[in-house]
Amino acid sequence: MTASEILSQLKTRFDASVQRADIPQDDRLFVYVTPASLRDVCRYVFRDLDARYVTSIGMDDRQRTGRYLIAHNFAFDKDHVLASILTYLRENHAAVESIVEGVPAANWAEREFKDLLGIEPVGHTTPKRLVLPDGWPEGAHPLRKDVPWNFVPPDYDDSRQYAFDDPPEGCIVVPFGPFHPTLDEPAHFRLYVDGETVKGCEYRGFMVHRGIEKLSESVLSYNEIPMLAERICGICGSVHNVTYAQAVEQAAAVKPPPRAEFIRTIMLELERLHSHLLWVGLASHILGFDTLFMQSFRIREPIMWITEKISGNRKTYALCVIGGVRWEITPELRSELREVLSALEKEWLAVAGAVRGDRNVQRRTKGVGVADKALVKEMALVGPIARAAGVPIDCRRDHPYAAYDRVEFDVVTQEGADVWSRLLVRVLEVFESIRIIRQCLEKMPDGPIAAAVEADLPAGRMGSSSVEAPRGEAHHFVVTGEENRPRRWRVRAPTYQNLQGVPAMIREQHLADMTISLGSIDPCFSCTDRLEVVDIRTDRTRVYGQEELLRLARSVRR
Amino acid sequence: MSWLSKIKEAVICLKAGRATLPYPFEPRPTPERFRGRPIFDGARCIGCAGCANNCPAREILVFDPSQEVRIIKYLGLRCTYCGRCADVCPEGAITMSREFETATNDIRDLEQHLEIFMGTCTRCGRCFKEPSILEQLKLKGYRDDDLENDRWVYSSRPFLDGGSVVRDIEIELD
Amino acid sequence: MMTAVVIASFNVLLVLLVAPLFEGVVRRLTARIQSRQGPPLLQPYLDILKLLGKEDIESGVAPGVQRLAAALSLASVLTVATMVPMGTRPPLSGIGDAIVLVHLLGLSGVSILLAGLAAGSTYSLLGMSREMVTMVTLEPLLAVALILGAVQTGSMHLDVVLGGSAYAGTGLPLPGLVMLGTILFAFQAFVGRLPYDTAEAETEIMEGAMMEYSGPKLALFKYARMARLLVYGALFCALFAPWGNSWPFPLGTLAMLGKVFLLVLLVTVVAATHARYRIDQAVRHYAIMLGVAVAALVVAVLRA
Repeated sequence: MTASEILSQLKTRFDASVQRADIPQDDRLFVYVTPASLRDVCRYVFRDLDARYVTSIGMDDRQRTGRYLIAHNFAFDKDHVLASILTYLRENHAAVESIVEGVPAANWAEREFKDLLGIEPVGHTTPKRLVLPDGWPEGAHPLRKDVPWNFVPPDYDDSRQYAFDDPPEGCIVVPFGPFHPTLDEPAHFRLYVDGETVKGCEYRGFMVHRGIEKLSESVLSYNEIPMLAERICGICGSVHNVTYAQAVEQAAAVKPPPRAEFIRTIMLELERLHSHLLWVGLASHILGFDTLFMQSFRIREPIMWITEKISGNRKTYALCVIGGVRWEITPELRSELREVLSALEKEWLAVAGAVRGDRNVQRRTKGVGVADKALVKEMALVGPIARAAGVPIDCRRDHPYAAYDRVEFDVVTQEGADVWSRLLVRVLEVFESIRIIRQCLEKMPDGPIAAAVEADLPAGRMGSSSVEAPRGEAHHFVVTGEENRPRRWRVRAPTYQNLQGVPAMIREQHLADMTISLGSIDPCFSCTDRLEVVDIRTDRTRVYGQEELLRLARSVRR
Repeated sequence: MSWLSKIKEAVICLKAGRATLPYPFEPRPTPERFRGRPIFDGARCIGCAGCANNCPAREILVFDPSQEVRIIKYLGLRCTYCGRCADVCPEGAITMSREFETATNDIRDLEQHLEIFMGTCTRCGRCFKEPSILEQLKLKGYRDDDLENDRWVYSSRPFLDGGSVVRDIEIELD
Repeated sequence: MMTAVVIASFNVLLVLLVAPLFEGVVRRLTARIQSRQGPPLLQPYLDILKLLGKEDIESGVAPGVQRLAAALSLASVLTVATMVPMGTRPPLSGIGDAIVLVHLLGLSGVSILLAGLAAGSTYSLLGMSREMVTMVTLEPLLAVALILGAVQTGSMHLDVVLGGSAYAGTGLPLPGLVMLGTILFAFQAFVGRLPYDTAEAETEIMEGAMMEYSGPKLALFKYARMARLLVYGALFCALFAPWGNSWPFPLGTLAMLGKVFLLVLLVTVVAATHARYRIDQAVRHYAIMLGVAVAALVVAVLRA
């Protein structure tokens, strides 16, 4: 199916409900439907056309049209099309039919626009607070355009507590986080445990708020945002940097030169290499296997050094500007990169050979944290989680970007759907990445590394981009705007979807397997928590001064 | 099979040797393109404020105490060393140094302060050609306060007072 | 009597002085296996001193019990030390019998239970329940090993049982060898090291029962843990590798330390190359070991 065929299917089925459509290029589809038909259209796209849910976006467009805009993004992976189902709500009307019944994966995204824009998803199954902190007053919605970026609500109530659900009968509550040795970032799971078996859990995250999206649409300019975007995540930062740049380029029809595309591909794959090696290390640490942890970090280090040589920094490459990249790969760097890759391949072959037969590791990972095909579909899980369950989705192949359409590689899949399969997928993907980088170095054409942007970027254009991050698909949606900055920029990191699958993955599992199950999605809370306004303190994550801490430590007597 | 795996793993470990570097006694040499703390060269700066307009972290402030003098101040509080200032500087007055060990008890140690004597072009006040249209700041001229538009850190003030120069967010220093 | 007291105090001093050194060896060797430099050999001494110098914070539900648990954990291990021959004449000869030893070793486990219970946080309690499960399945294993010696020598006296009794009797000491293998496997669990450190499991339950402890109390627990490695090592040598124990004074002690050193190396290598087992998997392993040990005991009884 091409984009226009999908559109004609929608038209035959929903007739006048489809108001207008835009197909800016072969692999993008923007369909505007009436608010009343939104639920049915989304259900049809998700169930009957078997599209994968990506994310939902709310936008405050009242300044221009007096209305709110809602977009539900879907991906047709086999047909290589990214589709947005958009609807303008009635004038000054902040409520929309929830699609969560038909599309369970939309649970968080709908709660997010409820919190941040105050658009009520009518009929949502769990309309609890998601993003905003506990003490944030009702009725203040930070992403609305009339709220300034530095808004601090005067009636912030420190004493308000989040209302957790009641634990099931006979279970004790084990708080997992906000701080736990295996969580690198704060997130809170309330586990309901019977003996050593987890019976259920409730998640309360979004504890680190940095206001990145708000800043981008109110303060920063197009070329400043990439440097901020890569700070969304400490591990796959460059992914966000590239995804943002591509989304803007797609919206504004700017074409980066081919050499820039190859350099982007190389850097993204280098990032995948270091991220997968890092994950193998962290997963072994969670299993108490620190030797493999140290060894995989040792093997990873030369990758960090070569990226430092290319971009000037081990991790934050500051790679993209709109229309190109900033760092050239010189012939010396090219040969050095080749050497690094050969050394890495040799070492990683040894590790892969050793780990594949390790029954000690298999005991802890086989049959643990199972996310089967059904869960992958329902919760729209992405990346190694989906591929480990035998669902062959990979944005590099399905929605080719940068130079991925010019290189050959295999999409690694496994059938086990457990942590062990995810480990194998990641271990094997390292070799695919090495293969891709080698081809890029071979095929990279000469030429400029950045396109000249001669005119202002047109306002009001929409662009979306999906990039296969090490953890899965990172999706950015951009609406261009005036004043040299986007009107709306929505980031959906892979963990945003994968984390929603965790409660199902850990149910009826051992408490001891909780950490590795969570670890197996390689959770990146900073990616998930990127929104919101600064300086919020929930009761649980309050920042204590040293004095205060000492006083507390001395006084606790329960 | 498992024993074989354990032996293979042991071989990997034995082959590797010791990976610990003798840091901080012998710092690892930084590569040529390394992006460390930006260093501002007052002799080259022409006061165009292009760096201030393109700093994603809004770490470079410009003050115009009088028509003839412009003060450019680099704060170093939350600088991410992205190197955009060095990119856009038309005179090459900013270099990304190899300094990265910048821990300090007093954040003001990282500040840099340039006083530039400016010619007075009353017609446009501009002396900076942006690399691309995206680098332009469309909100204001360079010589005016722009309080309505709320450009937060980049702000020109008629004088330097002793108070905190960071007016955007109340940063608590201990 | 006087000599017994001297020998017992010598043992206690020896354990207190040497145990951190062995811990240093463990850390250093682990680091080398992991391609790291690792801390100086004397670091554990400094760690203990550092912890002892820190503020004593009482954060649990029953501070008194917590203090007791900390003291008990070190005291019980040191008491065991007085009974295990360490290259000198068997101390307390003719006083205790093998059952005392089993109970005293149990007591050091009980101190961990107390510690977890008194701390009262969810993770402490989880660690405590895991420790309890471990204790219930591991203690009998040691008892069986001691009883095997008793069966083969026909005496429950400590000095007899702890004199290489596993191989006593005539002919090929088959039950003794089987027992040697079993205890060697279980040794990792006795001293609470990977892959059987489920009760502490930093990445799962954040050190379990130890979670709420800091400062001097933590120092005592840590010291007890280090001492346990040495004392169990000495006990193992006395049961299964008694050669050299009767050499004249400094030589016998050095021989014992040398043997324990080798054991420590083995423990470290195994710990560094394995992932942690889950509590149910660990318990299954203990059960298998216990089964083998009981079988060996039965064979020994039939042959005796």
